[in-house]
Amino acid sequence: MRKLSIHIVLILAWSTATLGQTIYGTLEGTVKDSETSQPVVGANVTLRSSFIGAASDSGGRFRITRIPAGTYSLVVSMLGYQRTTVEGVRVVRGQVGSIEISMRPVPLQSDPVIITANKREQSLQEVPVSVATVTARMIADRNNVTLDDALRYVPGVNVLSDQVNIRGSSGYSRGVGSRVLVLLDGLPYITGDTGEINWESIPMFEVDRLEVVKGAGSALYGSSALGGVINVITKESPSTPELRFRAFSGLYDKPRYSEWDWSPKPRFNSGLVMSYAGKSGALSYLVSAGRTVDESYRENDTYHRWSLFAKVKYDLSSTQSLTISSNYIDRSHGNYFWWKSLAEATRPPESQLNGVVNSHRGNISLAYKEFISDKLFFTAKAIYFGNFWRDDSSGRVNNVSASHLFSFDVQATYDLNSSNVLTFGVAGNYDKVEANLFGSHPGVGAAAYAQDEASLSTEVKLTAGVRFDWQKVSVLASTAQLNPKLGVVYMPDSETSVRASFGSGFRYPAIGELYIESNTNVSAVAVLPNADLKPETSISYEVGINRSFGQRVSIDLALYNNDFRNLIEPIVEIKQYHPYPSSPIEVEGPVIQFENVTKARIQGLETVLRVEWWKRFFSTDIGYTYTWPLDLADHTILKFRPRHLLYGSGMFTWNHLRASADARYLSRIERIDDNLVRLAPIVNGDQRVAIKIVDVRASYDLIGLGLPARVGLNINNLLNYSYVELLGNLGPVRTYYLTIEGMF
Amino acid sequence: MKKLLLAAIVMSLLSCDHGLEPPPSVQPGFGGTIYFEKGTWPASDSLVNLWLFASQLYPLDSAKIFTGLFSNPPAIYLYPATDKNLPLFVDSVSFAFNVPPGTYKYVGVLQHSANDINASSLRVVGLYGTNDSPPLPIPIIVSDFNFVSGVNIRVNFRKPPPSPF
Repeated sequence: MRKLSIHIVLILAWSTATLGQTIYGTLEGTVKDSETSQPVVGANVTLRSSFIGAASDSGGRFRITRIPAGTYSLVVSMLGYQRTTVEGVRVVRGQVGSIEISMRPVPLQSDPVIITANKREQSLQEVPVSVATVTARMIADRNNVTLDDALRYVPGVNVLSDQVNIRGSSGYSRGVGSRVLVLLDGLPYITGDTGEINWESIPMFEVDRLEVVKGAGSALYGSSALGGVINVITKESPSTPELRFRAFSGLYDKPRYSEWDWSPKPRFNSGLVMSYAGKSGALSYLVSAGRTVDESYRENDTYHRWSLFAKVKYDLSSTQSLTISSNYIDRSHGNYFWWKSLAEATRPPESQLNGVVNSHRGNISLAYKEFISDKLFFTAKAIYFGNFWRDDSSGRVNNVSASHLFSFDVQATYDLNSSNVLTFGVAGNYDKVEANLFGSHPGVGAAAYAQDEASLSTEVKLTAGVRFDWQKVSVLASTAQLNPKLGVVYMPDSETSVRASFGSGFRYPAIGELYIESNTNVSAVAVLPNADLKPETSISYEVGINRSFGQRVSIDLALYNNDFRNLIEPIVEIKQYHPYPSSPIEVEGPVIQFENVTKARIQGLETVLRVEWWKRFFSTDIGYTYTWPLDLADHTILKFRPRHLLYGSGMFTWNHLRASADARYLSRIERIDDNLVRLAPIVNGDQRVAIKIVDVRASYDLIGLGLPARVGLNINNLLNYSYVELLGNLGPVRTYYLTIEGMF
Repeated sequence: MKKLLLAAIVMSLLSCDHGLEPPPSVQPGFGGTIYFEKGTWPASDSLVNLWLFASQLYPLDSAKIFTGLFSNPPAIYLYPATDKNLPLFVDSVSFAFNVPPGTYKYVGVLQHSANDINASSLRVVGLYGTNDSPPLPIPIIVSDFNFVSGVNIRVNFRKPPPSPF
């Protein structure tokens, strides 16, 4: 057993005040940092095996009401602190109990609690796969407005504009057909038409943390989890009313070269988001609204966005809860596909100059949870995700798409005995797409899954699971997939964890890939459908070790091998085709068509080193990933994969001052799609360099001046380095941000 | 030692590598090499002119050729010039063809075999195209400050590509 080294001071002073004839009692108290005695804000204080709980407020205070009389185990958790349990907490009917909790900080966060790897809460040390977390604090410090920005600092992950790539899983298809599954509070959040991740509609201000599971995960999550799974976990409401806000104003610096300086006026990127949250009896609530305007450093790349988010949770009883959440965004964005040429790298070609995409996206989800007994936990979740967009050019509507995605997941977790935890469930989805690009097509799918986590001894844990998926799209024949997983973790001591895992993944072709048909106005290339596409599949193997050296140093090392089959890639070539479906004649010209073309093997290693140099004041993280992405069909390196990723960060904290820096190095992409560059055409589209980006920031907490606010200055791309992530798309120039966030 | 390492990293980051930069100002156009298949040269009396041509028009017919050549501005450009020839009876010749920015859908080598210029005295003997059989033309995009290199054309006078007119 892991020894709890946290220092706990517990004071129970039962009040004599009665609360009428109620059957409930109340528990209140404070959570403090054991070393500084400062209040710990946002700590989750819950009664084990129930939904009764609260989060600490800006003063570290919490108050839990409506507790049935009895004796409980109190679980206190907070990222950055040692999770602890206080046993034997008595709650007396009609009385108010008081408790003071001291939490010990754990700066390295080497062992956070995660839920995505096995669909239940467990320590990171106990999972057999590589998992990275991004906390709300990191997101706020970096002023990440969209999810893709927050992922750019995760070891093993790189983002090609609209497309996320975990350990080389993805190439380039402008986001279509994502090989990484994004979950919003555990439910799939992939668009129904093109199967892509919609980064902008994730409510980043309300994100509690991100969990990034690397490697195939279809044995639990189904389609799209070939390369990994990203779970976006939103915040819970605090027990006392709380008004929060964050405002930022950013100024783009001039491009490094005068040839690229297209705008006579300064360009700004600004935003404001506010939220109000609290709890009233059994009801907790959180609402937020935001506005962002980005004038961009490039011509016709401006966007305007409104966003709304609401989350309401009702505790039906101490063991039952119902959560309803909803999210909506309205955005208008210039249709910037690629530059005019490297000589005019901040301007699009004339054909794109007047293009704009207007989109409305929203979701509503329900989650019912119940502790049926101490051993059986049940959840039922459902989500509707609607996507509506149209792109206009010079006032003319070109393309319109409406997609509706409904999915559900019913799951039970059962502690069979002291050695086995069973997780099993069923899931399903229904899609409906109506678009001039894709036609009108429905899709339906169903799945069943089960896994067992067995503790073979105190040192060895074994996980085995399997999931069966069935899918049918439009009039095409149905397809089925069976995906197993197997993992083992060996923990010889409290500081060492050795893991090995095998998992499989698959992705059904998106409706957009199957049915897209377009002669776009931005390219000379026609896009053709291919209803013969088969699902792409992957098999992942990983071995790894995580080792802590005292409280100051931890290192994680992983070796991985991913085999892909039937990879769906956009193929650009000149061929004969019917310019429209009913055309009696064929023409010759450049076309893009999605095809099952590639089998690939991606091998590599990844290591993450965390060091706390100066206790609580200065720490560093370094992550290095080497990827060897081999196209087995033609024995060349896979397109659009960098071979080396090196990320480093350092954080300095002193009293109310916090300063940090991030550096990213991605080696030059060795192989791109030359046909796309030549035929699209993207002038100078083959121009690319290694990516070397440094971001720095500092913030100061005004609480010392009596103001519950923090002000900060961020400088992104400090060196004003010029690079492309995506063909013909110059990355952001140096940008200065002034931020302020507060909580009342 | 640590300080030295840190200094090296900082110096590396602050070095002169600023990433991408605009290309030097160049005359727009394209360039490459024309390879002539050995032993296929025709008799000199059928080589009144031999030009590299770049046409913004495709497909072509006999009317479009003359419209393209003589319109203002022209839609078809000839290299080295209307009254000059590519070198004859050589194995290869490199070229740098400066043309106005635009999309050149049809680029190749044109043989003029009689003193009169008409459709029957002109034939395309080489094409910048795909490796298919028959080859398909590959468009060349020339933008401001952009010179497209690597435009290589093979000419076999005995196996010319399909005539567009």
